[in-house]
Amino acid sequence: MSQGYPVKIYKEPDLRRSSLVLGWSEDMGNLGRKATGYLNRKLKGQEFAEIEPEDFFSLGGVAIEGNLARFPESKFYACQEHELVIFQSDSPGAEWYKFLNSVLDVAEHHCRVKELYILGAMVSFSAHTTPRELLAVVNSAEMKEVLSQYDLARDMDYQTPLGERPTLNSFLLWIAQGRNIPGVSLWVPIPFYLAAMEDAQAQKKVLSFLNERLDLKIDFSDLDQEVREQNEQLAQVRSRFPQIDDYINRLESNLMLSEEENGELIKKIEDFLREGD
Amino acid sequence: MGIKLYQEPQLENPILIASWPGIGNIGIIAVDTLRGILEAEEFGEIEPWDFFYPKRVLIRKGVLEYLEFPSSKFYFKGTGGKDIIFFIGEEQPTEGERMYAEGRKAYHMANLVLDVAEKFKCRRVYTSGAAVALTHHTTKPRVWAVPNSENLIPEIRGYGNTVLMSDIEGRGGHGNITGLNGLLLGVAKKRGFEAICLMGEIPVYLQGLPLSYPKASKSVLEVLSNSLKIEVNLDKLDELDQKVERRIEEFYQQIPLEIRGQLDRLKHVTYAQPAEPGPITEEEEKRIMEDVEKFFKKRGGGG
Repeated sequence: MSQGYPVKIYKEPDLRRSSLVLGWSEDMGNLGRKATGYLNRKLKGQEFAEIEPEDFFSLGGVAIEGNLARFPESKFYACQEHELVIFQSDSPGAEWYKFLNSVLDVAEHHCRVKELYILGAMVSFSAHTTPRELLAVVNSAEMKEVLSQYDLARDMDYQTPLGERPTLNSFLLWIAQGRNIPGVSLWVPIPFYLAAMEDAQAQKKVLSFLNERLDLKIDFSDLDQEVREQNEQLAQVRSRFPQIDDYINRLESNLMLSEEENGELIKKIEDFLREGD
Repeated sequence: MGIKLYQEPQLENPILIASWPGIGNIGIIAVDTLRGILEAEEFGEIEPWDFFYPKRVLIRKGVLEYLEFPSSKFYFKGTGGKDIIFFIGEEQPTEGERMYAEGRKAYHMANLVLDVAEKFKCRRVYTSGAAVALTHHTTKPRVWAVPNSENLIPEIRGYGNTVLMSDIEGRGGHGNITGLNGLLLGVAKKRGFEAICLMGEIPVYLQGLPLSYPKASKSVLEVLSNSLKIEVNLDKLDELDQKVERRIEEFYQQIPLEIRGQLDRLKHVTYAQPAEPGPITEEEEKRIMEDVEKFFKKRGGGG
């Protein structure tokens, strides 16, 4: 590991040829945190290292979330049986290059990581009833070839629009490319009215891919139940509020809503899912 | 994190002219225009990744092709007797939400720029930026010059259309130069380089607009080229100035009549010394500033 990197290793993991799955906590639809948390729970991930926050986060106080004080966390978990490393972290606000290299230092030098899977979500203007897609951006032709047997959209063309910046996922994928670590950045489009909430279907989509690709043998019955419950809740909103049903019907017919209608739909869905009413 | 030189040109007593973006992009437009006119050749860069967040990604058919970072490049030009090294930074290395560079990264970048200057035995550095002033956009901007050594003051006094801080109304020789265009001056002093920052005046009511201000870049370039005894054709800068001037006029006409009336009075500012009674009293100056501030607050930050 490079000298001076603020990484604390609690216990050396016993991994020979592992894969790294990485998710950010503040992702859309809470995808990164939920999906990595799910993997950790199911595969009994053991925390073995963390990145100290002081160089990377503004530490001018603490955020409060769900009545609790939150502090930035960047933690590594090892699932030895599955040769899997999970990294769950808040997105750094500074020194990104150093931070991302620290992640890959741990992955390479302590876990012998051979492949990188970065989880991400993006806004979609489709209805929640549209099946979730999984888009893949890779950092090598070999990785593209390896992934060709999976149900992924793999031919995306994209260029950062003027006035915007690339995502942290692209930055990490590029650094991994420079270090010859094959990697893929996975993107699940999430309906815009679920972006600030959770989307169990999106989690299922990305986790199913990882399950198949990494042969994790996960039983998804609990997540399937969550998907059913979320769909039922959304069906309830539709039946209770005809206007919301009309908006979603229009999205299902590939029609755009006005900005005002988008706002109303987001508010109603969020209120309902938060309060169950 | 370091310097990458593609070639090592043979340079004789070069001077360094460096600039980063700032208010109205006055300095960087001046320096980049001169670089373009002289057809200076790129010969190196500062590696960007530790300083900057990437600015563009290109993905083709699902494969990440490249990630582009803001550039920090060196150029050189032999001008027959006085060779020039240009340094042009596309962005200032800021930390967090700040607009201008400061702190560790800024200091590191300033030192890397001067490392290259030192390698080629350069002893004189120019930087350039903006001076926010109570002036009108229809008047010719002056250039405020700040040296990092007493010895340079007589030389600056010989420049045309240029003032020292002690000549500026009510400033008493004091002020600040924010960001790397200023910091480089200080680091140069620490390392024994002589350095001068040339700042073109921008009217106070234009400082928050997302517009460049080439009229002031032209003033800076006139001073710089005279100081270096280089003849430059400024037609392109004039063209750019005319285009921007039209947009500024459109903006100006949107300013409420009462405030515009106050600002119109700035057309007649004649740069009086503090001891002399100027065409605008201190009280009037204060009122103009308050009105301008009020107007920008109403517009939601002046963008």
